Amino acid sequence: MAEVKLVDVSKIYEEKNKAVSSFSLEIKDKEFVVLVGPSGCGKSTTLRMIAGLEDISEGEIFIDGRKVNNVPPKDRDIAMVFQNYALYPHMSVYENMAFGLKLRKFSKSEINERVSYAAKILDIEYLLERKPKQLSGGQRQRVAVGRAIVRKPKVFLFDEPLSNLDAKLRVQMRSEIARLHKRLQTTIVYVTHDQVEAMTMGDRIVVMKEGIVQQVDTPLNLYNHPKNKFVAGFIGSPAMNFVEGKIVSEDGLKFVSSQGTLTFQLNPKQSEILSSYRDKKITVGIRPESFSAETKYESSVKTKLEFEEQMGNEVYLHFNVDGKSCIARMHPDVQYKIGDEINVGFNNFAVLFFDNAAGERIC
Amino acid sequence: MKKSLVIFIAVFVGVITFLPFLWMISASVMPSGAANTFPPRIFPNKFDFSHYTTLFTRLNLTKYLLNSMIISFGVTLFSLLLNSMAGYAFAKFRFAKKKGLFKFLLSSLIIPAQVTMLPLFLILKNLGLINTYWAIFIPGMASIFGIFLIRQYAFSIPDSLIEAAKMDGATEMQIYLRVILPLCKPILVTLGLFTFMGTWNDFLWPLIVMTDANMYTMPVALANLMSEHVQDTELMMAGSVITIIPVLVVFLALQKYYIKGIMMGSVKG
Repeated sequence: MAEVKLVDVSKIYEEKNKAVSSFSLEIKDKEFVVLVGPSGCGKSTTLRMIAGLEDISEGEIFIDGRKVNNVPPKDRDIAMVFQNYALYPHMSVYENMAFGLKLRKFSKSEINERVSYAAKILDIEYLLERKPKQLSGGQRQRVAVGRAIVRKPKVFLFDEPLSNLDAKLRVQMRSEIARLHKRLQTTIVYVTHDQVEAMTMGDRIVVMKEGIVQQVDTPLNLYNHPKNKFVAGFIGSPAMNFVEGKIVSEDGLKFVSSQGTLTFQLNPKQSEILSSYRDKKITVGIRPESFSAETKYESSVKTKLEFEEQMGNEVYLHFNVDGKSCIARMHPDVQYKIGDEINVGFNNFAVLFFDNAAGERIC
Repeated sequence: MKKSLVIFIAVFVGVITFLPFLWMISASVMPSGAANTFPPRIFPNKFDFSHYTTLFTRLNLTKYLLNSMIISFGVTLFSLLLNSMAGYAFAKFRFAKKKGLFKFLLSSLIIPAQVTMLPLFLILKNLGLINTYWAIFIPGMASIFGIFLIRQYAFSIPDSLIEAAKMDGATEMQIYLRVILPLCKPILVTLGLFTFMGTWNDFLWPLIVMTDANMYTMPVALANLMSEHVQDTELMMAGSVITIIPVLVVFLALQKYYIKGIMMGSVKG
């Protein structure tokens, strides 16, 4: 197993078109790192540069201490699982898994042993003779993972491996991959656009936007201490609610939204940090789960219920604040009707404040 | 009513199309002179296979048949190898001036083959290749149409398959041989059939470059037969039957892949 180190790595396709900008990251041995971000943020390009499938325009990549910038993929000792599985359609499952080993001139018995072992832990022993077209999506995905496992590479790369699966299977495979990581004790770099996958699987998460790393942190830190508005909005489902307004002095410091729908008193800690923002525009972020129908919080917002989404275990209430749609996540027993005047309280200790211009979190 | 009309027209056209073919087979087994009687007969009164014997004994058709076989299989193999390599490269490789080069190749399709025959003949003559199999192998090795066909098909092969093979440790040659070629099977069969039939039936080029009677192909030999035995229609027809049999066998044997290839090419291309 190995460490992966990226130093100021950039990918420039054409002049001025930077897909990835100065990406630096040290991935520890046996670590599960997830690259996450919206489409076109450069996460897959970064993964492909680690794999050797894309040239590196600037910077350096090291795998297990060896610089691999000019090393072809086959000599990097890595394995990759592709989004569309990329199984060879003319080969059986066994042949698909054995292909890499055959090319590397492993003995027949060794190939047999490794394929059998991988098939056993992935529970695909009964599929070995079948062709990929005879498999379901989930089975194909297992074979693709199996093909990577048999090689016993230093690093596993996963490029959105679950995005072609249905929701139920995705959840199942998610936990299987996480379990596999624990069992194989390997370094994994995993790319996804699904923040739930990122949160549940990664030891650390790299959030990217437009080719630039926004934050690298553990899932909980990303959720609780996002560095900027983008990370705050990207991590968490449903996404964080943002309301623009300003800080005013009125019995201490107070936040007042642009149209005055949302006002609340700042707590002492917030007041201290935000004193320099008096009369300046600022954005607050409130997570849907910070709202409550009970009146246990001092701060609240009076509004009209636009519609609700009943999930069974929870309910999402949609309402308007200053003309912007907001969501509150509540206990499913909450009984409101569409059009009702509602008063939702929120914990103002959980409110995050962002600089309006740069989007950085202030506190 | 409408359906039965369509069936009637289809059957009628089918019969009209099949009639010359039927008459060729039928005439080849008629006794000498029976094919030229009036009114013409469609089926023979008496079966006479002597023309076939004559072809293989007195007229030495085995030699020409062998020439045609060697040339057709040779050209087909060379052309499949080179066209598949070029088509794959044009579809999946990144290299400078790729699009421009391909357009240039495509534009050369408008030049009639006859125009290139003389310069080609002179080149081959200077190389001392006239009256050798290479005089037909070399010009037939690559065709723009073949490259185009393979290229269009290769586009439908996902890049990730090639990348997966690279990660698995395959060299470019191994990717081509073990991943691309097996996946291109339907289109290779189609192109192989086109090439085989085209080469087998080709008359003009073998006539130009094979001046030695020992190197004649079947169509050339058959044409020679015509001028020598102009009255002997039954012998001509027996020769024609022998000529089309290998093409027919190859076509029927590979028909399944051929149709698949044509369909896939048209949909995915």
